[in-house]
Amino acid sequence: MEELIQHLTPILKEVWGYIFPNEIELHWGILIVLYPYLTGLVAGAFILASLVKVFNVKELQPTYRLAMLTAMAFLIVAPLPLLAHLGHPEKAYEILITPNSTSAMAMFGFVYAWYLMAVLCLEIWFEYRRDIILWAQKETGIKKWIHKIISLFSKDISEKALHFDKKWVKIVTIIGIPSAFLLHGYVGFIFGSIKANPWWSSVLMPIVFLFSAIVSGIAMVLILYMIITPVRGKQLDILCLDKLASYLFYVMIIDFSLEALDFVHRVYESEESIKILAYLVSNKLFISLVVIQLFMGMLIPLAMIALIKIMKSPPDLKKMVYFISAILVQVGIFSTRWNIVIGGQLFSKSFRGLTVYKITFFGLEGFFASVIVFCLPFILLYILTKILPPWEEARNP
Amino acid sequence: MKNFLQKIPEQVKRLSVLLLVVVIVFIVATSLLTPKDFGLVGHYRAGAIQNNADKKMQYAGQEVCADCHDDIWKTKNSGYHKNLSCEVCHGPSFNHVNEPDQFKPEKPRDRIFCPVCHEFNPSRPTGFPQILSASHNPRRICVTCHNPHNPTPPQTPKECSACHAEISSAKSVSSHMDIPCTKCHEASEKHKLRPREYLPTKPANREFCGQCHSQDAKGDEFIPRISMATHEPRYVCWQCHYPHLPEAL
Repeated sequence: MEELIQHLTPILKEVWGYIFPNEIELHWGILIVLYPYLTGLVAGAFILASLVKVFNVKELQPTYRLAMLTAMAFLIVAPLPLLAHLGHPEKAYEILITPNSTSAMAMFGFVYAWYLMAVLCLEIWFEYRRDIILWAQKETGIKKWIHKIISLFSKDISEKALHFDKKWVKIVTIIGIPSAFLLHGYVGFIFGSIKANPWWSSVLMPIVFLFSAIVSGIAMVLILYMIITPVRGKQLDILCLDKLASYLFYVMIIDFSLEALDFVHRVYESEESIKILAYLVSNKLFISLVVIQLFMGMLIPLAMIALIKIMKSPPDLKKMVYFISAILVQVGIFSTRWNIVIGGQLFSKSFRGLTVYKITFFGLEGFFASVIVFCLPFILLYILTKILPPWEEARNP
Repeated sequence: MKNFLQKIPEQVKRLSVLLLVVVIVFIVATSLLTPKDFGLVGHYRAGAIQNNADKKMQYAGQEVCADCHDDIWKTKNSGYHKNLSCEVCHGPSFNHVNEPDQFKPEKPRDRIFCPVCHEFNPSRPTGFPQILSASHNPRRICVTCHNPHNPTPPQTPKECSACHAEISSAKSVSSHMDIPCTKCHEASEKHKLRPREYLPTKPANREFCGQCHSQDAKGDEFIPRISMATHEPRYVCWQCHYPHLPEAL
């Protein structure tokens, strides 16, 4: 009790106006900010990969396999922040064995399992099958067995079988696009369907989530490609970078338009919550929404990419601008998730007061735990690239 | 049949086996892990009801308080706090019911607890008693003047507040709240009929306030004292101090 009082007293001093007693402390902290951010990267990276297979964008071929593995690494880590947030993570499996079909949150396990097993694993398996079989033939020891198991002891690399693989990569990708939309649209749906919260309750929420996810996914693959390639002592493919930056630019324009539409819609509707939301945006969320999300994460990268495209710039300048833009976009999209998750809990449902969010450093829901969760996908991606090298030279002729 | 199986691509066969394994594992896990009493009375474990019932009780409920403290309970239930349960102020008291001497309920004896509800806040409903604790008798704890079981606030004489409501409400939260209007103002009965023709009196000299506030005045220690000889001797007190809310200076 004493501990609780000590924890709440400094927060109470910063409460503005009138709030209900159960609104002093936020229930969803930085881990829940991380969750839509990570799932967004999955959906975005997958959509980028699908551009190669479904829409036949040849320039992006160097990033195709990397994008698939990135999606995989982030997807495996995506439920971890949710698990860490749960009071009893050991009971999480119950959501799957006793599914409540009327709960959107309870359905997450199935959406996730579908996306992981029916889309990502399947597409990676069909894409890599031939290479895995050939690697297994040349290798010895544990690596040989890992590859054999992953290939499900498959051996057929006849022309007919490879044609079948190719066809199915395309089919799975086509199924994967609505599935990626479902996965991240679902995260937006969770927030958008909370009708008691005017900051969240919007039919545009799933679609805004989705496009910001695509933005962050493309930017993440661009960053990874630009870091990994020079580290491996290889040359960056400038055509691929140009294309990535172009797609990033186009999707950002759509994302910006959708967010602007959402903003205009709210202002025009002017529901009873508009005053507290305006106060929220102009005070507590000013830095994270107006400065970081809008200017740093959206307008500056848009302007930088537009300028570099209009002016005939040297490749080195292009690379630098693309890299800085992609980093800014990541910061901006993380800030978007922050503003939605944290922002939606800062104002009282009485619409007459605001509370504050004090992040803790230690503990399962603290800053360090979230840094660890954020680093995990990169470690996982490193392991995945060791097992399933996405590089061109690793492919068997 | 054999021909048909041969026509199925190798990938499909292997993936089908894997899918079959996943489905079987899921079905077995579901049947093993689902609690036996799940779904008997709703989408939850029926035993969860008993688990909750077995939890240690913290609150006794106000009906139990009435068994021993019926006089206080009746007073509370006839006053403005009738909708509050005893344990709102006195804290969880289940232990007190079982062992009254060993466990004593809390008694808020500070100026922090009551303002949780009664601190001024523009969001509170009109008419709800509210104070600014910084200026509302700052040196006294709430229960000195208010009986929490019957918290009706001290009233100014009704015949004055009927017309001078603003003054009376200011005075009612000031340190002068216990002083009746007629102590400082003499008003004839005619003032009620023709107020502007028959004005009430005001203290005309410094000595009037000095009855309580001079250094040699008798009375409670917390009353602020001044030196009548040196404290702005050329002015009458109310030229600088607002007597209906002296803290407002």
